[in-house]
Amino acid sequence: MKKTIVVLALVLALVMSVFAGGGKEKSGASSTFQVPEGGYDGSAVTITFYHTMGSNLAEVLAQYIEEFNALYPNITVNATQVGSYDDVRDQISTEITVGNQPNIAYCYPDHVALYNMAGVVATLDDLIESSEVVTRADGSTETLGLTEAQKADFIEGYWNEGKQFGDGLMYTLPWSKSTEVLYYNKTFFDNNGIKVPTTWDEMEEVCAAIKAIDPASIPLGYDSEGNWFITMTEQLESPYTSALEPHYLFDNETNREFVKRFRSWYQKGYLTTQTLYGAYTSGLFVAENGTRSYMSIGSSAGATHQRPTKGADGNYPFEVGIATIPQVNPDRPKVISQGPSVCIFNKSNPQEVIASWLFVKYMTTSTDFQAEFSMTSGYVPVLKSVADHPVYKEFVSKANGGDYISALSASVCLSQQEAYYTSPAFNGSSTARSQVQNLLARSLSAQGNDDEVIDKAFKEAITECEYQN
Amino acid sequence: MSIITMHERDIQKTSLRQKVVFATVQVLLYAFLLTMALIVLFPFYWMVISSLKTLDEYRESVPTFFPRRIMFSNYREAFTSASLGRLFLNTLYVGVVSTLLSLVITILSAFAFARLEFKGKNILFAGLLATMMIPGELFTITNYSTVTRLGWMNTYTVLIVPFLVSVFYIYLLRQNFMQIPDELYLAAKVDGTGDLKYLLKVMIPLSLPTLISITILKMMGAWNSYIWPRLVANDQAHRLITNGLRNAFTETTGDVNYPVQMAAVALVSLPLFLVFVFLRKYIMKGVSRSGIKG
Amino acid sequence: MEMVENRHKWKAWLYLSPAILLLLVFTVWPIINTVRMAFLENYSGLSAVRGATFSLGIGNFRSVIQYPKFLQCMKNTVLLCILTVPISTFLALLIAVCLNSIKFLQKPLQTIFFLPYVTNSIAIGMVFAAMFNIVGSFYGTENEIVVTAGIINNIIEFFGGRRVNWINAGSSYLANITVMTVYIVWNALPFKILVLLGGLQSINRQYYDAAKVDGTPRRRIFLRITVPLLSPMIAYVVITGFIGGFKEYTSIVGIFGEKMGPADDGGRLNTMVGFIYDALSTNKQGRASAAALILFLIILVVTLINMQVSKKRVHY
Repeated sequence: MKKTIVVLALVLALVMSVFAGGGKEKSGASSTFQVPEGGYDGSAVTITFYHTMGSNLAEVLAQYIEEFNALYPNITVNATQVGSYDDVRDQISTEITVGNQPNIAYCYPDHVALYNMAGVVATLDDLIESSEVVTRADGSTETLGLTEAQKADFIEGYWNEGKQFGDGLMYTLPWSKSTEVLYYNKTFFDNNGIKVPTTWDEMEEVCAAIKAIDPASIPLGYDSEGNWFITMTEQLESPYTSALEPHYLFDNETNREFVKRFRSWYQKGYLTTQTLYGAYTSGLFVAENGTRSYMSIGSSAGATHQRPTKGADGNYPFEVGIATIPQVNPDRPKVISQGPSVCIFNKSNPQEVIASWLFVKYMTTSTDFQAEFSMTSGYVPVLKSVADHPVYKEFVSKANGGDYISALSASVCLSQQEAYYTSPAFNGSSTARSQVQNLLARSLSAQGNDDEVIDKAFKEAITECEYQN
Repeated sequence: MSIITMHERDIQKTSLRQKVVFATVQVLLYAFLLTMALIVLFPFYWMVISSLKTLDEYRESVPTFFPRRIMFSNYREAFTSASLGRLFLNTLYVGVVSTLLSLVITILSAFAFARLEFKGKNILFAGLLATMMIPGELFTITNYSTVTRLGWMNTYTVLIVPFLVSVFYIYLLRQNFMQIPDELYLAAKVDGTGDLKYLLKVMIPLSLPTLISITILKMMGAWNSYIWPRLVANDQAHRLITNGLRNAFTETTGDVNYPVQMAAVALVSLPLFLVFVFLRKYIMKGVSRSGIKG
Repeated sequence: MEMVENRHKWKAWLYLSPAILLLLVFTVWPIINTVRMAFLENYSGLSAVRGATFSLGIGNFRSVIQYPKFLQCMKNTVLLCILTVPISTFLALLIAVCLNSIKFLQKPLQTIFFLPYVTNSIAIGMVFAAMFNIVGSFYGTENEIVVTAGIINNIIEFFGGRRVNWINAGSSYLANITVMTVYIVWNALPFKILVLLGGLQSINRQYYDAAKVDGTPRRRIFLRITVPLLSPMIAYVVITGFIGGFKEYTSIVGIFGEKMGPADDGGRLNTMVGFIYDALSTNKQGRASAAALILFLIILVVTLINMQVSKKRVHY
């Protein structure tokens, strides 16, 4: 065995000497994408699009790709479903290392920050502003860039998500979005004369009132601790993270205070979260007996899960109401913006980038597509004008707390368009998110002295964040 | 006379006691085995009933032991949401070709390690075994860039070639070859029989059970592989079964439709299970003949 | 004779050439590349695409060792190994011996014990998590609410025990490790039973017949004949068990999810491979490679010790 070790040591020494001279690689910064003279030259290109759509959505997509191809027959779009969001991220970051990345991808902001370490995400500013004219197969023309009207049609909070990377440049366009909403047991609220809470102070009162009526209940279930923490910092205008160094700013007095407040709620039995409860909080909300909750804060796209099962008589055992989540200051509401955006990757052939842009532009600015996609998925459209789209209008008009609960959820989302925020994105922003989630879960439930528990949770979260960076 | 009877009675007594002991031992044996079998089976029972639930029932706080509404449609959904026929053929093709090539390579290598003498043999063998200790995830990145440079993306080659050599199989087969007496080989050499002929005529027939187990394990590998195929051959034409089935169940919210996924896992496991039921004898024999001698 | 030997050398390399060629490209080169990345300070594949330069050094190793939870990862990995390998080996041996001594139902039982081998560990992990899960809230406070205590706790309560918080918020490390041990042992059993049962069936009956004639008691037969004759197989499952055990990761994801710990203490059960995954997902291949090399060294040492021990104990 000694022999083996000697051989291993020799191999190691050899390898070291090979690379001792290495490490001299050219340095260069990524540059912004510039639209070449003439815009799209009509050449035949194939573009790939990675997404996470299930089969029902992929069908909608395929149908609109066909329509897009009627206008641009030379642009072939290969749309591929690549597992989950994390799968998309992992696959693309591997592909980037050999220059094999797709043209377009579903993305979350932290993915883009990751890809940008390689400087491969195309900036969209020059494309958006381009005034080049493109002729389509049916003889009609379009401007390559976006018109002022088109730009203004995007819901502002969604649009801004594309430029939260610290350099003011635009990297993504919103594809389809969701947010968090407050589901409540309308039947119960009406019967007991309880008003839907609009602020956290009211929420505390409502929880106390429900606890007095049904002591065995857990009045409020919150799906995601991560969303909750970040939304609170936004509502309180207290620092969370920054796209520039130093990144991690969430350990401050204001944040510690709200965490302490919610901890006391948890200790009183007012609320639980998905991880602390050990099962979907929607399961608690739709329960009809035993331990149940009367409010649930969760994704607007998951409305159908927050609806109880129909009884034998064909009626729902109770009616569900949906409202905006409680606020710190109702005059300055803040709700999280979730759901996929799309980014375009740089390629050696600029025509591929332009073709990708034409496709992305077609999908994100088409009210037909946005309406249909939203109705199929439960997500909300990214364009304001979809609210006036006849089909979508009819869909929303049916909104109720039973069969058309998705429409109800959509109508609530449409009514809070001004409230969407997004948090800064950088390589490590997903670490921050998972750490504050951990922090909040821990601060709510850990036993011991309040301040000590919270202090420890914050400090460890910061240490972990800084290490991962 | 009386002495003899006493002796007989003694024998009767001991045989009775032996019988009681034997019966008790048997009862205990079966009790133990059946309990363990139940423990082993329970998660499968759970998987099957979960695969028959509606998503809403699956999400309930108190899990039900038997689905209220049996959803065979989950299986249909798992089956149809991916084009199963193509996936199946792809997997079968990749499985068969890679198994055949892998067998050839494994046999040749195991023969060299078991029968031939050459300098550095032991160090080389120890080195091979050491590669088994490195977490495979790290290989992925480098191998990915290698196959891209070779221009193998989205081909059958990329699904077959990189994993043809398994140190584990070489190790198994070498153990098996080493059990075949040296005398046979020396006799064959004296007769002037060539190595290859000797391999074909003597060693392969004698280690057939191991070869069959390797075949089965390799086929299982093709059936279950996931991460690599997804990365290098994710187009419709080359997609493999696990990959195709697992991708299809993301809900619109990004959640996974677990009942359908469970149905898919059950579907994918079924052929393997059948293989084991029908070929158990070979798998057992193969494993039992290897592993002896360090 | 000399010539024959030479011809043999040439032949041996010829036979080995396909394997060696493929291993060089798809195994050795990745290992060299891993070593290279480990010694380039803060190496990241994505930054490299952009043209970043990395100086040579041992910074990656330092940053792995300086990770505040590095010792925790090591502790979890080692603890799970030294718990699960002996337990699963012992249980597998017991089951194999029992299976070997029965006639009725032997084959169906063999099939059942092999079942875990053909399933996906993440899917089964979800089932285990459901079995140990307590659904409810506020454990340990006066407001404690339990909606359902999970099947395992139902069984414990049925026999008059007190329910245990196995994996939820507020659970103890001991409880977490117990669940992981049960799950990993469950997962490891089929392969070990298969190998050991195969070994048992190949033991010559003559040994037993001879012992029977001598009137040797069962326990003595087991310790003096079965175990020694089976020792190569036992050594084999122990060594592969340790190698697999040090690479533990997916089973923890199966029970606890990507959080790698109970709700109030994520990362508590993280392992070395889990650490490597974390580094890879933020594209820190340098750090991941350094961690992998450290893990490799540990496995190497443990395997050498194992082999040394088995050299003394194993009968060939």
